[in-house]
Amino acid sequence: MNTRSQLLCAWSGFVFAVLFTLGFWPLAQFMPPPSPNLSAADVAAMYQAHTTQFRCGVVVMMVSAGLILPFVTAISVQMERMEGAPGILSKLQLVSGAVGVIFFIVPCLAWGMASFRPDRAADLILLLSDLGWISFLFAIATFIVQNLAIGFAILGDKNASPAYPRWMGYFTVWTAVLFMPGGMLLFFKTGPFAWNGLFVFWIPFVVFFVWYLLMFVYLRKAIIDQAAAAPGH
Amino acid sequence: MIRATDTAVRRPPHVPGEAGVWVFIMGDMWVFALFFTTFIYYRAQDVALYTSAQQHLNQSLGAFNTFLLLTSSWFVIHAVEAARAARAALSRRLLLGALLCGAGFVAVKYFEYSEKIHAGLTIASNEFFMFYYVLTGIHLLHVAIGMLVLVYLWQASRSASRNGAELDISLLEGGASFWHMVDILWIVLFALIYMTR
Repeated sequence: MNTRSQLLCAWSGFVFAVLFTLGFWPLAQFMPPPSPNLSAADVAAMYQAHTTQFRCGVVVMMVSAGLILPFVTAISVQMERMEGAPGILSKLQLVSGAVGVIFFIVPCLAWGMASFRPDRAADLILLLSDLGWISFLFAIATFIVQNLAIGFAILGDKNASPAYPRWMGYFTVWTAVLFMPGGMLLFFKTGPFAWNGLFVFWIPFVVFFVWYLLMFVYLRKAIIDQAAAAPGH
Repeated sequence: MIRATDTAVRRPPHVPGEAGVWVFIMGDMWVFALFFTTFIYYRAQDVALYTSAQQHLNQSLGAFNTFLLLTSSWFVIHAVEAARAARAALSRRLLLGALLCGAGFVAVKYFEYSEKIHAGLTIASNEFFMFYYVLTGIHLLHVAIGMLVLVYLWQASRSASRNGAELDISLLEGGASFWHMVDILWIVLFALIYMTR
């Protein structure tokens, strides 16, 4: 089977993780995230300082977001193998993963627009900054569905040599549960449930990152195993 | 869960359920441990606010919910025992008992929340109520997930019986372990939010 193209798609997920981190962290300097409690003037000042570097960061994040698509597709191809007969979970993962990409792109649009005219009224910069952060961390819906689809497909894998280890199924479902506190961020501007708080940013972000890398490692392994098991190999 | 008959046969150390389920359970316990630590940390910054806000909580409803969850855990333990003894029908009835207790918990929580909201105490009232709503809300979500797990176990047991087979015991044990976790987390939540003076 098309092992080479599948592996390429898996690696594109890894490249996404590297590029997005590069754009988000050293370039846009979004680590730690700015507090939602900052005044309009403070936020505007943030976009006025290092504007060029910040724009580069947003461009890198924007480009990287596209690389999620091949990764999501490769996951679905392996999920078809888990489900055996034409299954619904692999398709559910594909659509939710595809829609999920939008919530990497929309924040980039908003942050990019904020940095496009950084000298406009501070309140407008604040609005765009809010749009960016809230669409980035509040848009949990598709990610929960996507992780539940992947998790249940792994747990339902009845093959003699399953594509993923079963604990990865439980880990994936757990990650879906961890996204849920993100829904709280509308209520708070400070504290652990604000968008820069422990339970809305730090834990989901770190766990998502670990999950994503594990997903990549085992996806790569599953593709190689599939090729090795294929007849005529 | 150790029965007298077990001592006759020396068994290897037994992990309830399949190993993977503990990734989920331990992961969840870890997050709740962080919730509890965060609560204690913020509480220490303003003890007066927390103790005065706590006066508005209904300890009796909280205690009744603790009783409901403990009872449900008792049902679940005996459901596992019954399944081990190949008494599938009894096991299902016990699961149903646990499910009813879970439903009771949700109903009590509904009355508790609406009582608070009518008194004008919402998630935005103060820091104490932020923790109260978020922590009990996320726990309630776990109760709901646990109830779905119980329904799934009941269903799986029934279809196994119809096919003349027995339910995979590690499935039941894994689900039971999750339910016990939901119970334990509530006990800590209750002590921390309702009782800490």
